[in-house]
Amino acid sequence: MKRFVGMWLVIGAVLVGLVGLFAAFYALAALAAKGAVALGFPGFFGSSIVNAVTLMAVTLMTLAALLTVAERKWSAAMQDRIGANRILVLGKFPLGGVPYLLADALKMLTKESIYPAARSKFLFELAPVLAFSPTFALFAVIPVGPEIRAMGQTVGMWVANPDAGLLWIFALAGLSVYGTTLAGWASNSRVGMLGAVRASAQMISYEVSLGLSLVGVMIAYRTVNLQAMAIAQGADVLGPVPALGILLQPLGFLVFFTSSFAETKRAPFDLPEGESEIVGYFLEYSGMKFGLLFLAEFVEVVILAAVTAAVFLGGWHPVFFEGWMKANLDPLLFGAICAAAFLAKVILLTWLQLIIRWLLPRFRYDQIQGLCWKLLLPGALVNVFVTGAAVLVDPSLQVLAWIGVAEIVAIFGITLAVSKPQAAHGDAHGHAAHAAGH
Amino acid sequence: MPYQIDNRPADTRESLYFPEIFRAIGLVVKTFWRNAFFSRDGNTDILERNRVRNRVTTLQYPEEKAPYPAGYRGLHRLVPRPDGSPRCVACYMCATACPAQCIYIEAAEVEGDPIEKYPAKFVIDELRCVVCGFCVEACPKDAIRMDTGEHPAPTYTREGQIYDEKRLLRGPPVSYEKDPWLVRPSKLTDAAQKANRAAARPFGTLGTDEYSQTPGFSVRELAAEAKARGEVGK
Ligand code: SF4
Ligand code: SF4
Repeated sequence: MKRFVGMWLVIGAVLVGLVGLFAAFYALAALAAKGAVALGFPGFFGSSIVNAVTLMAVTLMTLAALLTVAERKWSAAMQDRIGANRILVLGKFPLGGVPYLLADALKMLTKESIYPAARSKFLFELAPVLAFSPTFALFAVIPVGPEIRAMGQTVGMWVANPDAGLLWIFALAGLSVYGTTLAGWASNSRVGMLGAVRASAQMISYEVSLGLSLVGVMIAYRTVNLQAMAIAQGADVLGPVPALGILLQPLGFLVFFTSSFAETKRAPFDLPEGESEIVGYFLEYSGMKFGLLFLAEFVEVVILAAVTAAVFLGGWHPVFFEGWMKANLDPLLFGAICAAAFLAKVILLTWLQLIIRWLLPRFRYDQIQGLCWKLLLPGALVNVFVTGAAVLVDPSLQVLAWIGVAEIVAIFGITLAVSKPQAAHGDAHGHAAHAAGH
Repeated sequence: MPYQIDNRPADTRESLYFPEIFRAIGLVVKTFWRNAFFSRDGNTDILERNRVRNRVTTLQYPEEKAPYPAGYRGLHRLVPRPDGSPRCVACYMCATACPAQCIYIEAAEVEGDPIEKYPAKFVIDELRCVVCGFCVEACPKDAIRMDTGEHPAPTYTREGQIYDEKRLLRGPPVSYEKDPWLVRPSKLTDAAQKANRAAARPFGTLGTDEYSQTPGFSVRELAAEAKARGEVGK
């Protein structure tokens, strides 16, 4: 019971901490905007620069780094284990395994860097950077919080707000395949090359369904700007229910989540690095270069969660009690709560990804391609047409929302409708099929 | 719990992948919830653990040790007499019986006693020992036992696994009705008896290298002595 209460206290403390953190970030951004205005620049120059530091360097990197700890502790909890707890701070407190982060960093930084003799010198150095930077830059367009007025300035919680938000995401997600492929190619190792080839084939396939799955969202919200999309998700559509992406586009959500999961190259889509067969495209990397490739993967996980949260889970809308909070709270606090809600969604989605990562065994290669081309791509295409038709019929999105509800109910129904496995019958069937095969 | 997987082909619902995955996600979430939010039963007997809420089966080894079954053959000990000196009479039966030949004994005569011997050196190389228990069976005096319930503590050097009589002599003393020292008093002075008892280490609970190291025990010295006697290299 003590632990039960303790865990809820921890969760509460994390949420409150996030609100406080983002209040500070908003205040910093507002200060910077003020400074920029004083220097004669537009205000968003200052706030964007500050946000680049607070969001990308602090929030994103901390999340990605903490994910290495979560990978240990959460997966342990999923597998009936305890997980890393041998580093004791002051000889007593395991602190949930967080000190392992420092140990990891120390290990990565102090390890010897081994260079394969036959490497392609320039590309070998370039590959980790190419793998890391596009994924990292993806976060720039994620709207973490709403636009608010604080200290006489209008500040938003994003680094950049280009009109082509989603297209930027497609472009950079497509670029990140270069890092992977070059890493395998430049290390001049057969196994690394195998991993690289697998990675490129897999990522290019899933790029298609990834793009198509978001077309439905673009049609529904009539924009590719992520901030506009987040705002549009706050509008009520079915009575008091807001037009969340997951409500309007459940199929799109599924396809997008799966394809972007495949893009992160983590289990069950971890063929490029399948540790048990080929060690993967980063086989020849050691020390911090390996660390960078490794970290790029964790950053990808966070980014994927962030994009999903922004496009499908209502972005920074806290959804519950939002109207009341907007009316009664200080704009700074409201903005901070919104941003904290966004980050909570991101954390929840990374958690979901970890669950899936530990749930499913690695796909076979033909299964991966089959899943993409036979299930996800047709699904995405159908989704595009249905969405287009629904929006054409009823631009107020009501019809689309009802279709979404029907889809969710159908998915639930199919999931819960477990046919009681009739062992004898199934066996006979199997044998018959077997005999027919001979 | 092991269960049978029937080898039927997947039906339409299953080959849609997703419904089954959703169900499985539910399972994992349940497991996560149980293990993360409820505390673990730390019972060292894992089968006895209450795993209704938290299902973790991990045994945190150095802090929690699984109870050994009765009759477990643990680390040897030389059984002391009530006065703290070993029961062993240096008869070499155990060394003879030992299939691994890992017991080394040097006998010495008890001063002022025309009959009785004692082991001036009694060394067991635990790395060579095959834990067969023959030595215990062979001993006519019940002077060597494997009832400590410990395994030899891990050490950083091979020498650390060589146990001499100072490290072996430990645990509660054992006496029988006919034991001669119950009839005639111990030849040791009171001070010597006291020192003996103080030197005998209790049964350990935490096996660590430092703990099991007897002060003053040096394998190098033993080796040097053996060399001086010309026993090395035979
Ligand atoms: S247990 Fe067996 S191998 Fe070990 S010392 Fe005794 S007789 Fe020798
Ligand atoms: S331990 Fe027992 S068998 Fe071995 S020498 Fe001593 S008395 Fe003899």
